Amino acid sequence: MSVTFESVRFGTVEIQPEDVTEFPFGLIGLGGSRYALLDRNPGSGFLWLHSVDDPALALPVVNPHQFFADFTLEIEPEDRERTGITDPSAGRLYVTVHATPDPLDITVNLRAPIVICDGRGYQVLNTNERAPLRAPLFTLQAQPAPGRSQPVDAA
Amino acid sequence: MLILTRRPGERVVIGDEILVTVMGVSGHTVRLGISAPQGVAIYREEIWLAVKEENRAAAAAADVDALPTAPPQAPAPGAVEDSSDAPADHASSDAA
Repeated sequence: MSVTFESVRFGTVEIQPEDVTEFPFGLIGLGGSRYALLDRNPGSGFLWLHSVDDPALALPVVNPHQFFADFTLEIEPEDRERTGITDPSAGRLYVTVHATPDPLDITVNLRAPIVICDGRGYQVLNTNERAPLRAPLFTLQAQPAPGRSQPVDAA
Repeated sequence: MLILTRRPGERVVIGDEILVTVMGVSGHTVRLGISAPQGVAIYREEIWLAVKEENRAAAAAADVDALPTAPPQAPAPGAVEDSSDAPADHASSDAA
């Protein structure tokens, strides 16, 4: 038996029951208790975390490891206790995408990733100091060579 | 808003399960200890607000068209100035 729900973006969506992820605490400031990950832009790396219960509630997300080679998640102790997740690498990891008309202005929130583990999803706080709230997703790479972003004083 | 005066070591009880203890006061800083049921999330307000704003901004993405299908390409080296659609103020290709 599949699950169907309505989406203002995608119309009627049909998914398998196991593709419904429970979010016991919802998303911070947004709530929602059941979401599904939709791959509507295959190959782009973008997925949609879509509420099963609210047709208008959906957030684009990406796997941070796909775009940030050095991304690491250190879950706050309180969040570890609350979610029961001790090893985030055991689950799937996503970060929310702030979409903008110019792709170069797109940022993702590395500070509050979403961990999905055993059919449950949690938005947790990342205590890694190098995980900003708005990390540019793309940087222009005109020439191959210089390492990404940070202009560490190389000279 | 309920306003209470407490001394270090004293507590406030919220409902039957949330306990806020004033651990100490030093200058303009107050240390609070909070014990709450496991399911209650506790955040510093500024972090909660910032994440909430980012979540709302993400949820405001209109549709699939709002997302690129491929990473933006840099203009070919040398063709810097007249590339009208690529803002040069962003990242790497600093011409000067």
